[in-house]
Amino acid sequence: MTKLLITEITRRGPAFCVIGLQREKEKIQSIRPVPASANSWLHFPHQRGDILECALAPFPAAKPHIEDRTATRGFQKSSSVHEAETVTYLRKAEMANSLPDLFGCAIHENKKGAGLHAVPQDAKRSICGCETQNLRLELYANELRATLALPSGEVLRDLPVVDRDWRDFIDAALAPGRGANRTARLERFLNSQFHYKIMSCPHHFIRLGLTRPFHDLCWLMLDTLFPLPKPEWLEEF
Amino acid sequence: MTWPAKTSSAEKDSLRRLVEECFRREAGLSVPIPDENVDLIEAGILDSMGWVSFLRAVETASDAADLGSYLNERSASFTALLSALRDSSSIPAAPARSELLRDPAPQSNRVVITASSFAVGSRIIPSEDVDRAFGMPAGKLRARAGIESLAYAADGENEVTLGARAAQEALHAASCGAQQLDWIIATSETHHDYPSLAAQLHSRLLARENCGALDVGGACLGLLNALAVAQSLIESGQAQSVAVVTADVHSRTLTPDRVAGEFGGLFGDGASAFLLGGADAASTKEGYLLGEFIFGCAGQYAAAIQVSDAKDGSLGVQFDGEALSRAAIARMEKVIGSVEVRSGIPRSSVGGFATHQPNPRLVALLAKQCGVSPVAFPPIARTCGNLGSSTCGAALHEILRGASKQTRGERRPIFLASLGPGLLFGGGWLTPHENKEIEN
Repeated sequence: MTKLLITEITRRGPAFCVIGLQREKEKIQSIRPVPASANSWLHFPHQRGDILECALAPFPAAKPHIEDRTATRGFQKSSSVHEAETVTYLRKAEMANSLPDLFGCAIHENKKGAGLHAVPQDAKRSICGCETQNLRLELYANELRATLALPSGEVLRDLPVVDRDWRDFIDAALAPGRGANRTARLERFLNSQFHYKIMSCPHHFIRLGLTRPFHDLCWLMLDTLFPLPKPEWLEEF
Repeated sequence: MTWPAKTSSAEKDSLRRLVEECFRREAGLSVPIPDENVDLIEAGILDSMGWVSFLRAVETASDAADLGSYLNERSASFTALLSALRDSSSIPAAPARSELLRDPAPQSNRVVITASSFAVGSRIIPSEDVDRAFGMPAGKLRARAGIESLAYAADGENEVTLGARAAQEALHAASCGAQQLDWIIATSETHHDYPSLAAQLHSRLLARENCGALDVGGACLGLLNALAVAQSLIESGQAQSVAVVTADVHSRTLTPDRVAGEFGGLFGDGASAFLLGGADAASTKEGYLLGEFIFGCAGQYAAAIQVSDAKDGSLGVQFDGEALSRAAIARMEKVIGSVEVRSGIPRSSVGGFATHQPNPRLVALLAKQCGVSPVAFPPIARTCGNLGSSTCGAALHEILRGASKQTRGERRPIFLASLGPGLLFGGGWLTPHENKEIEN
């Protein structure tokens, strides 16, 4: 049995992608449990910070998703850690300060539009944590996208935010019952108070991931953003 | 009034009496009149600031203009001063202020400072500690320059972090997102790395990719240069929203192993930021309207301060503190006079003077020479040290902050005046602005 600290739950469409941390002696590394027949979960009832016991089998994943492991049995929750402690462990796992160090390869700008991508064969991994000098979240057609500055000063623009909790927060903020001008109110919140709430948090931290290859390219995503959104923030705008 | 080219014996006596009277006022009645050839500074009768004050008193009493330029390389003695007075007699005196005030410039500029901020290094060091670090007697900076403490950057702070902090606070105060900026204009006398300061701030603030990033020079004059560029960009319609950021971290460059304490000990670390927009923009409710700027370069003082990288990696500093002090006072007073003339705003009605502050004693002297209250000069250098291009920014922010607490009717104009090595000089003014269309 393997003990896995769940650090990421991302959502794109109806499916969830899950990543956890596994400690092997002194090394802490990211592991992505996947079902036997797919790359993502249609139902994942656990939360970030949960420590799950599970059985994982090596999986011949295509580069760069070397973290994939097949979950051969269900997950059993043994305990949980709080948000700040989760970040403490994430800071001991894969980390980078600059763009080429994120996935061990060159990162390319999308010549036809927004976003950044890597070539699958070049990338050495598909997940990495980093500190940020600054971060901005913006809404594009009700989807959350992030622009951030790495410690190296390099700027990553227009990354889709796939963090489940943040996507749920945006959905809740834009729910019809929230009244008029809710998009404008949310944008104002993201532009002002948000910045201070996020950047001043001692456990502010992000993890970036690569999508599965699509037309021979893996696209950068903002997988996880700490601190996680608080339900009470919805009362502020 | 001008002095005739050739001075008669009676006139020489009259000049001498004038000089002696000014000396007594500066040094006190108990100090005997020294021998004509005694160097007053070397003899310890006056310190360099006292000598500058004495010179300005003589200039004021005699109507002689810019005596300092006749005294370069000469001793601080009565003989040299009397000779300079005679040499200056062929130069016509400046026209009286009342003559110049007849033709105020029209207010054509429509650019407003909508928000501002100021950040200093988070280590506040008593000036006595800095004295000791530079191997000077404890209390020298306080007694000679009037500096009580200095703001030094902490380990994690630099021009980019201080500038970004000031800019973020200004953006927050204006409820403006960084993505609304069309230009970031940065100035610093200590940041010489690449990417440049403006480029690094652009990344740090996450401005739009098509927001321009421009660095301007001018050292302590940098803020005025940057404001003038920003004003031009907005007036010409090329930009709607511009951030001007100053940031200077002297404590890592002007270190005790590189420069003398009389120079390096004066400087602290800080940053300032200003958001500028069109006065008629819907988002511009109130702020301060930028007037015109005047700029120039008085090359005769170029040797008073020169800083260069030496071949061996050390810092080559040429610093004639006394000549620079004289030039600073004389030139800033002139700039303030010119701003008064161009704006049509009498200095007596100005709410605050955002000037360069080489050191607090010079600021007090400038206030005295200008005939205005020293309270109108925010005491930046006294508590933070000379912050380079950020001194003027810090002073302007403090004045704007004070004005924001006043009712609209109480707000008064602001004068800007600053200097940079060269001797570059510049000035300008701001007037209170309110967008009545929005009010209605």
